[in-house]
Amino acid sequence: MDSIEIPKRIETINSFKAQGGKVAAVLPIHYSRALFRAFDILPVEVWGPPEVEASYGGVHLQAYVCSIVHNALSFLKKGGLEIADFILVPHACDSLQGLGSILLDFVKPTQTVAPLYLPRGKRTEDKQFLADEFRALARQLSNLTGKEPGDDKLLECIEREEQADLLLADLYRNRTGLGLDNLSFYRLIRSREYLPAEQFTELAQTALEKHSARNPNGIPILLSGIVPERMEVLKAIEELGGFVVADDFACCGRRLYPKGNERDPFLRMAERIINAPPDPTRGNSIDERAEFLINLAQTYGAKGVIFYELKFCEPELFDLPNLRNSLKQAGLNSVHIEVDIKDPLSNQVITRIGAFLEILE
Amino acid sequence: MDKIVALGIDVGSTTVKMVGVNASGDFEWNYLEGSDPRVEDQVDSFLQRFRTETGMTDSVPLVATGYGRKLVGQAEKIVTEITCHAKGVFKQLGHGGTLIDIGGQDSKVIIIGEEGQVVDFAMNDKCAAGTGRFLENTAGRLRVPLDQMGEVAIAARDEVAISSTCTVFAESEIISLIAHGVKVEPILKGLHRSLIIRVVAMVRSIGLIPPLMLSGGVVKNPAIRKMIEEESGEPVILPEQPQLMGAYGAALIAQKIAVG
Ligand code: SF4
Repeated sequence: MDSIEIPKRIETINSFKAQGGKVAAVLPIHYSRALFRAFDILPVEVWGPPEVEASYGGVHLQAYVCSIVHNALSFLKKGGLEIADFILVPHACDSLQGLGSILLDFVKPTQTVAPLYLPRGKRTEDKQFLADEFRALARQLSNLTGKEPGDDKLLECIEREEQADLLLADLYRNRTGLGLDNLSFYRLIRSREYLPAEQFTELAQTALEKHSARNPNGIPILLSGIVPERMEVLKAIEELGGFVVADDFACCGRRLYPKGNERDPFLRMAERIINAPPDPTRGNSIDERAEFLINLAQTYGAKGVIFYELKFCEPELFDLPNLRNSLKQAGLNSVHIEVDIKDPLSNQVITRIGAFLEILE
Repeated sequence: MDKIVALGIDVGSTTVKMVGVNASGDFEWNYLEGSDPRVEDQVDSFLQRFRTETGMTDSVPLVATGYGRKLVGQAEKIVTEITCHAKGVFKQLGHGGTLIDIGGQDSKVIIIGEEGQVVDFAMNDKCAAGTGRFLENTAGRLRVPLDQMGEVAIAARDEVAISSTCTVFAESEIISLIAHGVKVEPILKGLHRSLIIRVVAMVRSIGLIPPLMLSGGVVKNPAIRKMIEEESGEPVILPEQPQLMGAYGAALIAQKIAVG
């Protein structure tokens, strides 16, 4: 199987709306999909998007703010989010927090804009705090839709997302046997950013059933960062002789949320996020991240790590020197490549990846 | 001349270099000329010249490197300039360390391990300010021939600090300095310093492992070497043909293909 038919974002939104549902535009990184679905709202994530005239956001943002935030604001100002009935801005970092304030105080879009504060720890109090944040968000969603889903409905939605996330984890575990190239694999994984869980589940099951015996060739590597944009980079890696066997991307591998145990739906939503793989935007330490990456590389046989980072992404870049050092001490080579989602994939980026793969050879 | 068993070509932004090596990987033949946008035609003419000058008619493996490497259809293999420079310099100098390569379009710092392997690298390729192009453009403004810039800069007693971090702005800054009656020599010295400070910052960002080595066409300029020593506090070692190290490294990889 070389590729898989994935419904397009706009088709998905239109068909969801045609059935009477609403749509929420959600900025990175962590939130609860189940909560939105309980109110018949489809969450559609906005990671940029890359192909947008980014100058519209420049009126409100400094040049040293990352391109995800620049592009998201530009996209909104150009009317790209008009289809959405609600906008959620999780406070993953200072830049997103700033964007939340700019939207609320200056841009004032017609839709309700809600922030979501994320705790930076894993204590019981952190879980409680996040559950309260979800309760507050639920009140806003209730105002928007007039719906008041009970605990049973909430738990039903959570379980449906858990099922989709278990399949997502299965896709990762079986990736080398799926017969998908790097680009097709990530197109499938990233469809979770906008597909309803039930549709994603079907797609994932199809992909897993079509299990192929053809094993990919190439130097096994692990990717880390926020988002693999421009996605052509995934193809370039393969052409240069590499194969991505695992990732620690904020939009992908860092959101392999485990199944929860709590019976209270809000605590269950919080628990799942708090127990997700380490992420600097949730306050995990460099040691935790290094241990996680080393284990991931060992499990999947990765020979090196490409830190594919967005320029000016503080949470990522602050950790990087020490994190790379820890990996080096564990015998794991890494390279740091900095990109801007506004720019097309450059020859220079390709040379850096090529040189790194030559080192690993 | 021993029999040449392999060729390497480095298609750079300003010059194209070809090197031929014998079965032991020793340097036997080379040729260099300015870059032509019709890369494959230029490579054909290099191969023709190689046959004419050496009298060798057998086909030998060719490995291509440099920013135009993908356009060399005649190559058996393409390899990045990072790996090639490291291989070439290691073979010539016989030890690892930190290699600075300042090219026309980019500059790189490569940490070479004890067995000649690339351990780490950093590149500046987004901004002309850390590359040979910076000096080239600004030399044009000052009407000083490129091959004399280094000597003029070294001879200058005074030095003017150039604050612009961008080639285009540096040019306007130079015009303004000249308009204020500042002499060419101190401006040139300041320009060299500005380039070297950027390159040495890149060395620090990756961590200097001595000895410090230098390659690339720009090192023919004596001020570059002197200022790198001043700014880094480390003596600098140069291979014999610094400008040909990329092509030489490519030829060494081709030699492995030739001898198996
Ligand atoms: S890329 Fe980094 S700085 Fe930008 S929104 Fe994401 S976490 Fe924040």
